[in-house]
Amino acid sequence: MSQLTQALTEVEEKLRSLLEEVNQLIPYVKALEEENIKLKRECTLPEKETERVIANAEHIQGVAHDNLERLYHEGFHVCHLHFGQPLEGDCLFCMGFLRKD
Amino acid sequence: MKIFCSKDSLISGVNAVQRAVSVKNTLPVLSGILISAEKQSLRFAATDLELGIRCEIPAQIEEEGTIVVPAKLFAEVVRKLPDTMITIKEENLAITIYYYQSEITLRGYDPEEYPLLPDLIDPMSYTIPTLIFKNMIRQTIFSCAVEENRPVFNGTLMQIEGSNLRLVATDTHRLAYSISEVENPKNASFNGIIPAKTLAEIYRLLKDEDESIQISFNKTQVVFQFGLIYLVSRLIDGMFPNYKQVIPQTCETKINLSVKNFLEAVERASLLSHDKSGANIIRIKVESTQLKIDQTTELGKISEQIEVTTQGNDVMIAFNAKFLIDALKVIDTDQIIFELSGPYSPGVMRPLDNPNYLYLVLPVRIS
Repeated sequence: MSQLTQALTEVEEKLRSLLEEVNQLIPYVKALEEENIKLKRECTLPEKETERVIANAEHIQGVAHDNLERLYHEGFHVCHLHFGQPLEGDCLFCMGFLRKD
Repeated sequence: MKIFCSKDSLISGVNAVQRAVSVKNTLPVLSGILISAEKQSLRFAATDLELGIRCEIPAQIEEEGTIVVPAKLFAEVVRKLPDTMITIKEENLAITIYYYQSEITLRGYDPEEYPLLPDLIDPMSYTIPTLIFKNMIRQTIFSCAVEENRPVFNGTLMQIEGSNLRLVATDTHRLAYSISEVENPKNASFNGIIPAKTLAEIYRLLKDEDESIQISFNKTQVVFQFGLIYLVSRLIDGMFPNYKQVIPQTCETKINLSVKNFLEAVERASLLSHDKSGANIIRIKVESTQLKIDQTTELGKISEQIEVTTQGNDVMIAFNAKFLIDALKVIDTDQIIFELSGPYSPGVMRPLDNPNYLYLVLPVRIS
């Protein structure tokens, strides 16, 4: 009988130490989870930032293209050869440039 | 110097070099032709420092010597000489031309003051059959710009890459492109802008009996040698624009038409299209199997109609008649494909079954 009691006592002690260990681990896991969330957020942010930059660049490019097209239709060269000079009739290089853009 | 030669030889020498004589009076000696009698040949040379031409003519040399003679006067005198053996004698910076019992004396310039035509040091060289090169010049040179505000357009881009020789000329309103396959055993490569004046001179001087033309070049100069002629030219400094970018890859209307019929119709219509501003604009309407040019001006009215084969949309478009005529005159095939993409985009002419030539022309915007 005493042997059985002793065995139970030992199991109780082991369980207690296991519980203690689990209790110690809980804040650690919590910290890890928090860090994971933080890191995930950090990882996804540049992607979004890149998307934002690309969208902005495309917008600027579109505006720039519109501006160049308007400049051309107002009668000025937009090709690098004569940029800003008055047009005398259409220019193949301006049209090629606007088409490529 | 004392030489004997025929009038014809003198004329051929003068004609060969005369266009290189400087028309600007910056250096008086450049308004002359350098004549040198050496060994058994008489050599004529002229330069305006951009272009230099040297030509050898057969002559009997009794006494060697050199002199510079005033080009215009000498050329006129030579052309008026009788058809007989001519004797030319140089003494004290003057030449005396003897024929029959008569003589003319012309004052000359000191040959020491005359610049030497450079011989290129360690040049790359390349040989092209004359007929091919002459035709390529003819098909492109007219597209060079005449106005001098942008020098790169006053010349033709010449590219040698592997077995391909390309000439490209543009004035930004039109562009002519020609490519040929030529043997290039030394694998020479070249990319330079040759002044239109130089190519025009080569075209004028190249004779069909000259089998080939040798081209030597370095970074700033190019030399053409054919027959008895040596021609050196400065290359135009600057970067030729990316011409590939302006060639449309697609089109909305494809017209297959006869070069002769189209050329004649455009020429007739252009007679009535000259307006007060000097513009020579013709309006073209393409409808399924017909190409129409209807022109009503103060001078009168013309209505031209040509049968054509078309693919794609109908179109109404206006062109400077001269720009069409220039190209139609140099296209060698009977038929062309004329590609259009609406009234504002450039039209592209391609000879039928010949992918080696292309002409791009911008339309004129009309109300």
